[in-house]
Amino acid sequence: MTAPPVRERRWVVLRHAARTRLAPLGVVVMLAALIVAVLAPIVSPYDPLKQDLGNVLAKPGRAHLLGTDNVGRDVLSRVIWGTRVSLVAGLGSVAIAVMAGGLLGLLAGYAGGQADGLVMRLMDAVLSFPPLVLALALGAVLGAGLTGVVIALGVVYTPTFARLMRGQVLTITAREYVEAARALGAPGWRIAWHHVLPNAMAPIVIQASLSVAFAILAEASLSFLGLGIQPPGASWGSMINAGRGYLQQAPWIVFGPGAALFITVVGLNFVGDAVRDALDPRLRA
Amino acid sequence: MGRLVLRRLLATVPVLLLVTAGVFTLIHLTPGDPIDVMMSESADATVKENLRRELGMDQPIYVQYATWMGRLLRGDLGHSIRNREPVIENVGKRIRPSLQLAGLAMAISLIIATPIGILSAARRNTSVDRVGTSFALFGICMPNFLLALLLIFFFGVKLRWLPISGYTDPLEEPWLGLRSLVLPAITLGLALAAVVTRTLRSSMLEALSEDYVRTARAKGLSEWRVIRGHVLKNALIPVVTVLGLQLGTLIGGAVITEYVFALPGVGRLVVDAVFARDYPLVQGVVLLIAVGFILSNLLVDLLYGWIDPRIRYR
Repeated sequence: MTAPPVRERRWVVLRHAARTRLAPLGVVVMLAALIVAVLAPIVSPYDPLKQDLGNVLAKPGRAHLLGTDNVGRDVLSRVIWGTRVSLVAGLGSVAIAVMAGGLLGLLAGYAGGQADGLVMRLMDAVLSFPPLVLALALGAVLGAGLTGVVIALGVVYTPTFARLMRGQVLTITAREYVEAARALGAPGWRIAWHHVLPNAMAPIVIQASLSVAFAILAEASLSFLGLGIQPPGASWGSMINAGRGYLQQAPWIVFGPGAALFITVVGLNFVGDAVRDALDPRLRA
Repeated sequence: MGRLVLRRLLATVPVLLLVTAGVFTLIHLTPGDPIDVMMSESADATVKENLRRELGMDQPIYVQYATWMGRLLRGDLGHSIRNREPVIENVGKRIRPSLQLAGLAMAISLIIATPIGILSAARRNTSVDRVGTSFALFGICMPNFLLALLLIFFFGVKLRWLPISGYTDPLEEPWLGLRSLVLPAITLGLALAAVVTRTLRSSMLEALSEDYVRTARAKGLSEWRVIRGHVLKNALIPVVTVLGLQLGTLIGGAVITEYVFALPGVGRLVVDAVFARDYPLVQGVVLLIAVGFILSNLLVDLLYGWIDPRIRYR
């Protein structure tokens, strides 16, 4: 039996992903978040930084759908602009982790020997730190701000991808088609690039899709602690932190960004689960 | 078992060495001069030079690492810049609330997760299962700082049942102490409960499909006796592994929880040290947390070997 062409396999995977019960809901949430993030300047009803001291802690109503905060800024506009920060942090940190972890895993699995030992012990060392503590320490030395947080989270997630890639490379390099390519005299880089990498990508894609949601949560946690984007910039975590002092008088300052964060993470989890179910043949039956 | 302990202990040594190197490098990752970052720009140049000499930062980097390692091996993790006290003393004062919080959170997570996980698996694809899996999804997706604020809002602000911040040692004042830890422990325990519920459900489903379960049912045992006697024991092994793997999440969660509820624990100490730019304290506490994390994982590994004899002979 011959394997279906790559394009056809992609459609099979997409069809399987779409058939998962909660996947459509997840896709809607993901698309909505992406659209809101891209069109923030258009869809945002007010300037997220503009203070209106005559209208502080206003309840949700027609003028301000999610109310205003302690300096009269529109909560909805800040939630909309915060979507950008969350998505950039989630996607950016996972992209860094996929690239760094993928390359390190490929190097470790393909080169073997001392390089493998060194890379994997290094990854073990990174994994020895509780993720949030490491991100906090790295964020502290890299300085507060989105760039520091994205890099810190990228470093935290790198070992997961390195381990996954290494495992895949070890399995794939033992396959007959790699043996055949070697026998035909293909150079190492060509085998790694054309034969190993494309076949090793499925678990990486699964892990990446699941990691984005957790990276968004981690960014919000770091912003909540004060390490993410700095005031007056809007991020969901920092908005929730700023609102906790007004929990009694104006709980909407916390609930608006809190709901946005929770819904986005749930939606991305649905998408991640659907991708996993579609790409993992054991779960497809 | 002795060989397993030795093998695992030896495997930790290179990782511990790399961890020390990583923590040591941390301070050198600071963009610009770390001394300028630690002290305000207006600080006197002599004071800055004294701190530089005190931290050994006027030496070449390999000398600094060797000196730092030498001090570490003698149990000296350095001194806090803020209160001049040794790092180890700073941690010693804060460790008790953190351990009490982690212990209570773990107990709460098991109390919640065990019945939900068992019922979800035993009543697969029913409304009971859907409630169980929805709870697990909620717990995994809910940021713990948001959950903390929701709990504060309902139980502290609206109902006024429980204190919203502060700490009383339960060993000194049991009732007040327990009350001060309930909300933080629920916050921390719920995320863990979600992960344990998912694991217990899936490992129970696997065990329920085994031949020995069919045999037990064929013997006429009641479903409850089948679950208690045959399924649960086998399904608990992955749960122990997950509890071990979740230690990092628990420690990370404790950082946030202690911050929100103003608990004077190690997590709060890290956050305070980060914002005070007390890098020797950050270095020392992060190193201690990492070593504690590695040793706890080692303990879980050994526990796993003790629970499941097949692991010992691999």
